Amino acid sequence: MIGYFIGFLTNVAIFAIFVLGLNLQFGFTGLLNFGHVAFLALGAYTMALLVTELGWSLAAASLAALLVTGLASLLIALPALRLRDEYLAMVTIGFSEIVRMILNNESWTGGPRGMGGYGDPFAALSLTPDQLRLAILILSLAVLVLTYLFLEYAVRSPWGRVLKAIREDEEAARSLGKDTRRYKLQSLVIGAVIAGVAGILLAFFFRYINPRMFLPLQTFAAWTMMVVGGTGRNAGVILGTVLYFAVYSLTQMWTGTGIAGLSGAQVGALRVAAIGLLLVLMMMFRPQGLLGRKEELTLER
Amino acid sequence: MLQYLANGLVVGSIIALAAIGLSLVYAILNLINFSHGDFLTFGAYMALLFNLAWSLHPWQTLPLVFILGAALGLALEVLVWRRMRRLRAGVVSRIVASIGLALALRNLLVFAFGAEPQAYRAPVQMAVPLGSLPVKVTPDQIWIFFVSLLAVLGFHLLLRHTGIGRSMRALADNVELAWVSGVPVDKVILWVWILGGGFAAIAGAMYAMTRPIHPELGWFLLLPMFAAIIVGGTGNPYGAILGGFLIGIVQEVSVLFIPSEYKIAVGFLAMIIALLVFPRGLLGREVLR
Repeated sequence: MIGYFIGFLTNVAIFAIFVLGLNLQFGFTGLLNFGHVAFLALGAYTMALLVTELGWSLAAASLAALLVTGLASLLIALPALRLRDEYLAMVTIGFSEIVRMILNNESWTGGPRGMGGYGDPFAALSLTPDQLRLAILILSLAVLVLTYLFLEYAVRSPWGRVLKAIREDEEAARSLGKDTRRYKLQSLVIGAVIAGVAGILLAFFFRYINPRMFLPLQTFAAWTMMVVGGTGRNAGVILGTVLYFAVYSLTQMWTGTGIAGLSGAQVGALRVAAIGLLLVLMMMFRPQGLLGRKEELTLER
Repeated sequence: MLQYLANGLVVGSIIALAAIGLSLVYAILNLINFSHGDFLTFGAYMALLFNLAWSLHPWQTLPLVFILGAALGLALEVLVWRRMRRLRAGVVSRIVASIGLALALRNLLVFAFGAEPQAYRAPVQMAVPLGSLPVKVTPDQIWIFFVSLLAVLGFHLLLRHTGIGRSMRALADNVELAWVSGVPVDKVILWVWILGGGFAAIAGAMYAMTRPIHPELGWFLLLPMFAAIIVGGTGNPYGAILGGFLIGIVQEVSVLFIPSEYKIAVGFLAMIIALLVFPRGLLGREVLR
């Protein structure tokens, strides 16, 4: 039971970091990133590949992985940000599917089986498996707190105020002499790097990564957590993440092996369908989420 | 080479037919409909249902599939999209809602039919040489091409020669201008969903004649459809048709040069290049900000 709880909390912490990155991009800047999972995957896989293939140290590989993730986001943002906002949505989702296609089809990524054997940051301490899980939980929570504090500082800074101005009215921000495209690029890249951090932690946590961990569903789950908790509120998206995992885990515990003549797979499908309907209903009746401020929102554009 | 071109024309005709609805909905409702791919999946499973339950040949199911696709489009318009317009929901809210709908629709299909790949119960067809050309195609592929072409032609006649068609073109071109000129917007939007939903559903049913039916059948065609409407030019349904054929051909011919797993990536690359080089698309309107 304690073990289950540690796993649950680690999942929540890692996903909260992932969603905080998305919240910077969309919640504060209004950027429609529908391929967020690509950055999670790039962080995890780049780190794993550099360690296992090139024998890099975990620290060096992790830093390089964040660099690669940031550069990749820059690469897709440069063409997409020249165009109307919605185009970023199509470009990012396409990008994330292509990343997954490459992970799934190339032999150097391990193909559908994925890869492991890159170790963890606590290898020198020779911990027991239980201690290791606890250590990774503490690491994830620490990174979450740091990310939260950094983002809270960032969005209150003059830089963050420009982001919000872009979100509310880009024309107005530009007419005040702000190079809005530059700010949008920065927001997108920082958000992507934060997702890369989450990806590296995810790899430590599961000790094995494969393409099925990076389905588009992860991006949509992240959107759900953000939208439920309150877009544009860092504390809100953490609440959203906790709620999402609590509901998901509880329903899985109760119905995971099937219920009322339905198989586990059928219940699983219904659960995802329910997430979809929840998104639709939220968007119709409370687009600002549980903690969001209606007057401070991109959704009404 | 000719063989891949022929395959490209078949796939392209499916993408073109399916992309009509995506393009119209984007141009008129200003909605990037992420659930559009799942209309294709829906169509494929409905055809499978009639095929298995009533032993209809897949081709015989198409009229029913069209009606169900249109009905699904209408139902979602009335239940979701019209309400969201009344509530003045923004672009982003509607995109997120369409993703929610996509998840719901796809997983209800998984619930009803299971996630395992399935196939129609129909005689297996051999590919036969096409006249004296060095090209082999199945009869179904030829039919797919001509039925899609026929549907596109019917759509063209509707656009050119009916009041609804004229209103549709006016709205796609400039919503505000059409609205102040007295175009019956709500009525035209209903027709957009009827045609877009119906076309997408039969496109999915036909696509499933060439490959197994699975819950992500339509999702995997959504990226090529996005690419088609961007390459062809948004705001113009003819652009979607032209773009659909182009993307289909580019994807299939690319198999000559790169592994076939990356077909979809090629369509996406074509989209990026189009965005960089000529963001208006071939027949589109201004999109630079």
